[in-house]
Amino acid sequence: MRITTPARRHALVALGVTAALTLTACAGTSGPAGNTAPKVDVSTTIPSDPVTLTLAYTNDPPTKALIDGFTKKHPNVTIKPQMTPFNDYIKSIKLAMSSDAAPDIAQYNPGAMNSLVPAGLILDLGPWSKAYGWNTKFPPASLEVLSSDKSAKQFGTGSLYAVPGGLSVLGVFYNKKIVKAAPKTLAEFEAAMKQAKDAGHTPLSNGALQVGGFHLWNALLNVTGDVDDYRSWVYGKPGSTIETPAAQKATQLLTDWAKKGYISSSASATADPDALASFAKGGSAFLITGNWAASTLETEMGNDVGFFLMPTESADKPANVASGASVAYAISAKSKHPNVAAAFLDYLGSPEAAKIEFDGGFMPVDTKTELGAQGLRGEISTVFAQVAQNNGIVPFPDFASPGMIDKLTPGIQGLINDKMTPDAFLRSLQESWDAHHGS
Amino acid sequence: MARELTSSVSPPRAHEARGGGRAAHAPTRPPRWRGRRARGWLYVLPALAVYLGFAIWPALNTLRLSLLTWDGILPATWAGFDNYVEIFQDSALYEAILHSLVLIIFFSFIPIGVGLLMTALLMGKVRRGMTFFRVVFFLPQVLPLVAVGITWRWLYSDSGVVNQFLDLVGLGAITRAWLGDYQLALIALGLIGTWVMSGLCMMLFLTGAQKIDPSLYEAAKLDGAGSFRQFRHVTLPGVRREITVAGVITTIAALASFDLVFVTTNGGPAGQTNVPGLLVYRLAFNEGDIGGASALAVVLTVIVVAVVSAVRYFTRDES
Repeated sequence: MRITTPARRHALVALGVTAALTLTACAGTSGPAGNTAPKVDVSTTIPSDPVTLTLAYTNDPPTKALIDGFTKKHPNVTIKPQMTPFNDYIKSIKLAMSSDAAPDIAQYNPGAMNSLVPAGLILDLGPWSKAYGWNTKFPPASLEVLSSDKSAKQFGTGSLYAVPGGLSVLGVFYNKKIVKAAPKTLAEFEAAMKQAKDAGHTPLSNGALQVGGFHLWNALLNVTGDVDDYRSWVYGKPGSTIETPAAQKATQLLTDWAKKGYISSSASATADPDALASFAKGGSAFLITGNWAASTLETEMGNDVGFFLMPTESADKPANVASGASVAYAISAKSKHPNVAAAFLDYLGSPEAAKIEFDGGFMPVDTKTELGAQGLRGEISTVFAQVAQNNGIVPFPDFASPGMIDKLTPGIQGLINDKMTPDAFLRSLQESWDAHHGS
Repeated sequence: MARELTSSVSPPRAHEARGGGRAAHAPTRPPRWRGRRARGWLYVLPALAVYLGFAIWPALNTLRLSLLTWDGILPATWAGFDNYVEIFQDSALYEAILHSLVLIIFFSFIPIGVGLLMTALLMGKVRRGMTFFRVVFFLPQVLPLVAVGITWRWLYSDSGVVNQFLDLVGLGAITRAWLGDYQLALIALGLIGTWVMSGLCMMLFLTGAQKIDPSLYEAAKLDGAGSFRQFRHVTLPGVRREITVAGVITTIAALASFDLVFVTTNGGPAGQTNVPGLLVYRLAFNEGDIGGASALAVVLTVIVVAVVSAVRYFTRDES
């Protein structure tokens, strides 16, 4: 069938008109403007009338259990959970929060919040924090990450926008069949890797295709660097830099380990779950990842697996800084029941919630609760308590700027493959930082 | 309005009358004809609505967004061509385009070659088991690329089947994690594309070849042509259109590749397998730069259209 000339012309005109309409009519794309948060009467008592809240979260196990725990205490409150798989969460939560039917409570995600905070779509929790005394209830470092200025560019300052409902900690798992005891210094760790290699084992499983690579770098940076420098950089404090001698040292160490064959070049093509599976099957001596892997490893390896924090250079000064993320929850500025939502947030820091968080694979927010955990999880909670009480839980480096993860992952691959120098790697990170925060 | 429409419709009919042989019908077309034509549009309407809603509208929207600075939530501001300028200044784009041009070799050239070879081998000889061959070779097309990618990631891994096989045949020295190798990752990735696309090409060519009049082969045989010359002078011209179609489909797959790359290497190691599709995704969803991502998507579309036009030009049917 041939299209006759005028028909074609009509089609073109139609297309042109549509295009013009699209280009002009919606040029000022809609979106909520300004920071006009509604006035709320802050209260720590919640009404006894029936209240229904919705809670948007992504696939982390304790959320539902925490909801159940809270609603058992307050039978008049119903919380409807809305789960979205992690990969879609950031994309959909922005739209959900700006819609008229926004969920009352939403799991916090730094990627999403850097537009939700400036748009005034989530509440400043300051008044409730004061009323409930959250500063003493939650580890200060865990709240710091969730505070930001109004532009959501600089963190660790300004208002509080969410509170944590479970923490995590990054460290080293080891196979007790291959490695007899947890190394106490970096030198011992290196010697243990050499020994494992000489005995024909893979020293370190690593999923550098995904986040495993930069977790390893991050763990090293935690023990070579100054924690204040690192925090300032991740939080976007003006004038911060990652091009420091400490970061240089951590990066060089990683490069050396790759050259010595402790990290194989195949790590660049290994996903995190594959690295975990390989370690669980006894395929390697060490695996650097977070406590979230604990329950899988316990099931697979029983008593043959242990956990320690990345050791420092001296055994006298054990690590008291470790990276960790938190699952955290924010309250929508459109919520009709912000006081009830805040009561749920407060519940997250209670000793009862601590038990639920721990059973769900997280480290409890209330670090003083005795958990009486045994085995691997006992080992993890012991080292975690030490770090948390020292206020040493710091955020992951990809938090520093929106594009950072796309510099970290390929950068570490470049280091492992000997295609990038430590200097060039740190420069690329700083470029991404500068682009977001301004140099 | 109606009059305008009529007047603008009539000249081409006259034009058609001048050029075509249907001149006699045009002036005496029965009055019912226009009603039938309207009814025809009615049938097209559902498909047209879907097409406008899910292809044209999003495409126009992308074009609009590419001229804005927008993070997805806050009010957008007019950016003009700033997004484009920024993209063209980024060396990552050129590398990514180069990578997808390399992928054309693996997604398009080699599969078309393999498809033609299989067609030559199967044409007119195999009667039994033909369905089996088709199913086996077409299978990669049926599987979701994400599943294909994850499977190949395992096959290519340190202790994967590929390396086990190499060990078995005494090539243990060259084993490596193929997708993690800085030099070879792009080729390893390309070969997955070859595996996926070859079956599609073969199917297309076989279908085309089966339409060829058998008498042509007989005539060629009588003229003393062997298998190779029969293939060259009868089969090949016979499947020319199918080659164009295969070329277009596979080239688009290479240039717009995203899912396969995303699950196998995610652009790694160290950016060696970055493709434009991946950069679009990162800009939009990791960096929240919807404007930049849209601009890059528009650039990618222009590249795809240009390359596909070139493919069609070079494989055009001159007869």
